[in-house]
Amino acid sequence: MFADNWKISLRQIKRLLILDIFGLSSLMLPRILSSMTGADGIFCLLFGMLGGILLVWLMQKNLKNIRGNYYNYMIDATGQIVGDIFMVFYFLYFVTLCSFVLYQTTNLVLTWLLPEGSYVWVSLLLLLLATYGTIRGIEGRARVYEIIFWFLGIPLLVMLFLALREVRVDYWTPIVSSTGENLFHGTIAFFIFLLPLTAILFLKPFCRKKDKLATCAGSALGIVTLMNGIIYLILLGVFGQNTMGILKRPIITLMSMINLPGGFFTRQDVFMTAVWFFALFALLHTGLFQSTLILKELFHESGNRYSLCVSLLVAFFLGVGFFENVFWEEIYEIYQKWIVLPGMVGILLVLPLAYHIKTTYTGRKGEK
Amino acid sequence: MPIQITPSLKENIDNFETLFSDCADIKKRKIKVGQKLEQQCYIAYIEVAISNVDWKDSAVGKFLQALRNLPEEELVSYVKQNVEGISDSQPFATMEDAAQGMLTGDVLFFLDGYNKALKIPDKGYPGRGVYETESEKVIRGSNEGFSESIKLNTALIRKRLRSPHVKVKESFAGRRTHTNVDLVYMKDLIYPGMLEEIEKRLKEFEIDGALDSGIIEQLTEKRKYSPFPQFQTTQRPDRAAMAILEGRIVLLSDNSPVALILPATYNTFIQTSDDYYSRWEIASFTRLLRYLASFLAMTLPGLYLAMTNFHTQILPTDLLLSLAAARQGVPFPAAVEIVIMELAFELLREAGVRLPGANGNTIGIVGGLIIGQAAVDANIVSPIVVIVVALTALCSFAVPNEEFATAFRILKFVFIFLCAYLGFFGFLLGMLGILIHLSHLESFGIPYLAPFVGADLNGYRDERDTFLRLPLNFLKKRPVYTREGARTRLKLKKQEKK
Repeated sequence: MFADNWKISLRQIKRLLILDIFGLSSLMLPRILSSMTGADGIFCLLFGMLGGILLVWLMQKNLKNIRGNYYNYMIDATGQIVGDIFMVFYFLYFVTLCSFVLYQTTNLVLTWLLPEGSYVWVSLLLLLLATYGTIRGIEGRARVYEIIFWFLGIPLLVMLFLALREVRVDYWTPIVSSTGENLFHGTIAFFIFLLPLTAILFLKPFCRKKDKLATCAGSALGIVTLMNGIIYLILLGVFGQNTMGILKRPIITLMSMINLPGGFFTRQDVFMTAVWFFALFALLHTGLFQSTLILKELFHESGNRYSLCVSLLVAFFLGVGFFENVFWEEIYEIYQKWIVLPGMVGILLVLPLAYHIKTTYTGRKGEK
Repeated sequence: MPIQITPSLKENIDNFETLFSDCADIKKRKIKVGQKLEQQCYIAYIEVAISNVDWKDSAVGKFLQALRNLPEEELVSYVKQNVEGISDSQPFATMEDAAQGMLTGDVLFFLDGYNKALKIPDKGYPGRGVYETESEKVIRGSNEGFSESIKLNTALIRKRLRSPHVKVKESFAGRRTHTNVDLVYMKDLIYPGMLEEIEKRLKEFEIDGALDSGIIEQLTEKRKYSPFPQFQTTQRPDRAAMAILEGRIVLLSDNSPVALILPATYNTFIQTSDDYYSRWEIASFTRLLRYLASFLAMTLPGLYLAMTNFHTQILPTDLLLSLAAARQGVPFPAAVEIVIMELAFELLREAGVRLPGANGNTIGIVGGLIIGQAAVDANIVSPIVVIVVALTALCSFAVPNEEFATAFRILKFVFIFLCAYLGFFGFLLGMLGILIHLSHLESFGIPYLAPFVGADLNGYRDERDTFLRLPLNFLKKRPVYTREGARTRLKLKKQEKK
């Protein structure tokens, strides 16, 4: 029968990827881009998207070679030890991503919804919920985000449309005034937000139409870039470069300013926080799910009890650590820029090459 | 070791009477048959289960009359040869099977020299007949409802589905009650494996008594700790027939007017029969209302608490002031106020259900109007809380399925608790928790949230009958739980050009 078959559709994967990337990027990127590049931030998004296309292309090359799962492919291409090292690299990426998103989501809750709450309790509740979701498997996870996609998307589009009234076009200038270095840093920043796309490499065994996974990722990339572009232009037009550079989460501030015509509620920010809450939770959930999956495969665990416990504990303590040590945010940024980004691209370049060499060599040996 | 029925009538009578000793309701008679009235037979039946008013017109009366006109030496051969001539008659070789045959409400017949007992059908147990259903009222459509007799219920379905593809598979549940359980389905429409799955689950338990379909439902559900039912229930034969036409299976249990339908999804619980009898605009509008009602029945009191206790900034100042004025003098915190009123309402509902018809209505009026007003006057609760609780109740009544609405009634208290302590964050946590729960829940292999999820399995066509019920000519295909290759429901013949 249909359910519990561990197979998910392309629509589910696409919506999951969109929410994964959109939440964190729309929340953090406007401030980063605005402080670095002003109106030129839009070019960073475009260049970032080009980088994203390259990433998707590389993933496609790898996806074609994956027969069973990604781990087996890595072992086939580079051997057991290197494969294991790559898996540890991915585990660290996803578990730190989970903890960072946990920190961001908790921050969002404490700032906008529960100012007197305890970050430990909020983090714990969020992680427990993500654990519940992870226990329920990939199908359940995909269905949650498939169903809430338009419930979040429609109000967001309406609010953005209403915000257009407040936009001052003169705030979109001057353009092409940033230095190349700033543009490069802005592009890198957006590209880092696109890295959760690599989760599809692990999703191949769970997908119904495996050959279209990369296309699906490409389409998610296009939609997220478009949404970020629209949001960036609106925010820039409403706040201007200087104000936006100061605001911590300008998109939510914008939501508190928009009034629905004839609306009953005076402010919509509390309700609209739900969009980012769910989107961030999706990424948090992805981080926990992927890190658990990687540990499970790495240690050949039959269930996922121990893998989940380890991922959970690491994510919780790292997440809470962000509150305790302010400088961790900077360390995380450095880690993403100098280790994760080159590492991800490097692995995606090395694997098909190694696989090609190995298959050619084995083929020749076989012929002899 | 089963007791075999022998040609000796005396031995059979002894065995039968030992089995049914101290059973005053079971009538046993020795009757002489044959032309000379020299051969003895024995009949046994449950007192009210056979027609004692007009004995001659009944099958057993006619059968005995025929035996009186035959010579004694031909009686046994006549009975042997003519068993199949009487509709629904059945010979039994063992005393236990014969006893079970009689307990279905028919007459048991023993004849000296015949080594079998014969079940001769009669009117069976007394029942209500076909009455109007008390729940699931519709504006348009049939008003017939299921009754307690399983035979009558299957006939009501047959009446609507006159096709040889409709199959009725009979089994029994309850070691002591031996309750008939029928699975009714359309052979060429059900999804492969679904029938086997329910049959497997029915065999997985042995219970003393299955007095209602509710017991079977609970014992065959996979996720026993979920508040959401995994079987749809109905008392309407047309709803059951409609489900069968969608490739679903209807489970009928004797002595229960409630049929179980499987598989069930969130969407099927929100649908009603008249959604398809009415025009699509009104059907879609009421469908949307019901979806909204199912959401508010669970969340409205919680949202009220979150807004008034945590996020007052979103409310207009005038409203905020009037809310504060309304709450002046109320000694309890808003959460306690809500819980008191909700519990009072649940008590009223329970009292209204248990009391006989007219008194039940009175309780509603007394409780709703007088106690509510008195509570507001006495400053125990604020008027706004009465409004919130009343609206929540209305929403729960708008959900067409009682069992499904109960899930929201229970979860409402969870939301009250979450929102009272965590505000809107609690609401979001609760919603996510329920979404995660629902997204992994399934009923006989079908995702509970179908067709909002997994709609690709049927080419996204099932989405045409969800929030909106599109015009019938858009609903050409049956839902995903129908067998592949048999999903065409409607073919439109092109109008001939004049």
